[in-house]
Amino acid sequence: MTEQTDTPRDDDVLAAELVLGVASEKDLLEGRRRMATDSEFASRVVFWQERLSAMTDDINPVKPPARVKKKLLAQVFPKTCVSVLQRVWLWQGVSMVSVLFAGYLGVQLLEMNTRPDAQPTVLAAQLGSDTSALQVLAVVEPVKHEIALRRISGEVLPNRVFELWAILPDQAPVSLGVLPDSETVRVLVPEALRSQAAEITLAISDEPIGGSPTGAPTGAVLAAGEMKEL
Amino acid sequence: MALSLEKVAPGAGHLGEWYWYFSQTEKQPLQSDRTEIENLIARVAMKDRVAFDQLYDRVSAKLFGVCLRVLNKRAAAEDAMQDTFVKIWKNADRYSANGLSPMTWLITIARNTSIDRLRARKKGHQDIDTPGFELVAPGLNPEQAVVASSEASRLSGCLDTLEENRAKAIRGAYLDGETYADLADRFGVPLNTMRTWLRRGLIALRECMSQ
Repeated sequence: MTEQTDTPRDDDVLAAELVLGVASEKDLLEGRRRMATDSEFASRVVFWQERLSAMTDDINPVKPPARVKKKLLAQVFPKTCVSVLQRVWLWQGVSMVSVLFAGYLGVQLLEMNTRPDAQPTVLAAQLGSDTSALQVLAVVEPVKHEIALRRISGEVLPNRVFELWAILPDQAPVSLGVLPDSETVRVLVPEALRSQAAEITLAISDEPIGGSPTGAPTGAVLAAGEMKEL
Repeated sequence: MALSLEKVAPGAGHLGEWYWYFSQTEKQPLQSDRTEIENLIARVAMKDRVAFDQLYDRVSAKLFGVCLRVLNKRAAAEDAMQDTFVKIWKNADRYSANGLSPMTWLITIARNTSIDRLRARKKGHQDIDTPGFELVAPGLNPEQAVVASSEASRLSGCLDTLEENRAKAIRGAYLDGETYADLADRFGVPLNTMRTWLRRGLIALRECMSQ
């Protein structure tokens, strides 16, 4: 045995040391350079990452508290961290018409709520994103099960269409149809989704004319927003 | 009374009202978990926020488990996981080129982020928060469990063939972020001996896993 001699090391061991995080600073810099330029070496790193990550296989999943997701989304998408009502009022550059629209809907829906046969909650969503100008306000009309949508900003691209999707947690998006190129539209909430309307996230994707050919969004998601109770 | 867009949005009235009625949407073909997570990462790479939200719901419990295992403190693990997902959001476009399976890529980011925090903590001040009560999320689905358990048993089977301290050193480096200096300290051996142990352990491990 040659226990006392240091460093019986080949590239493979260097790759493993990089993955383990025990490589010296010099080796780390060298290793990173080689990962970018030497595909054989990079494949050794991948080999070790795949194998050693199996050490996490018996780590049980732990549901993180909801506040972590909230903080994360507020960090990644700074605009989405305020409530719908705040958003309606804080909306920068929002047109007077849309403020009136939001206010009017609020009054209408409150009236509805005071009637005995009306449903107790009113849902609304503001759809937007950092990467697109498209901004849409959506309010669920609870008696007729319709979503009233109003486009505040954003234009559809030439020879493309907007397609609206309803997404329930852990489920594939369900198409609610292609939207016409108009400012306001109404969409019926499919019966299967009505009981879970409060959990719906609405999203609008960019699709070829006629809508997604696959039944799932194929283009960029231009705007999205969760339902919130008003 | 029904909402009338003509009343609330003057000028939009001439557009009329639009109604959509829905045919049954086609059921999505069953995708393996790997494909599903890969698709989500691909959509996140295109800055698809809905996909990011879905990816979080899909994998956050596993990644939080990993962060907690490394950091052993809830508040620190929450911060590490938040950093992990910010990195995923920013770097998802690099995923397709790296040849890793999607879970390995995600877990590696979570593990490395946690270890960086752990090391920063060791050098500086000591946190005083303690791990709290943990709610265990539903486990793996059967397909995942089969794949995961075969890979895990292979690695842990191979780790079991190593000399005990070498296996412990490899686990300590991967799961606890121990450096050669930490390990030499823990096992009470000179640094060079520690390097030799661990490197021999890795070579034996590679041989076992390549069989």
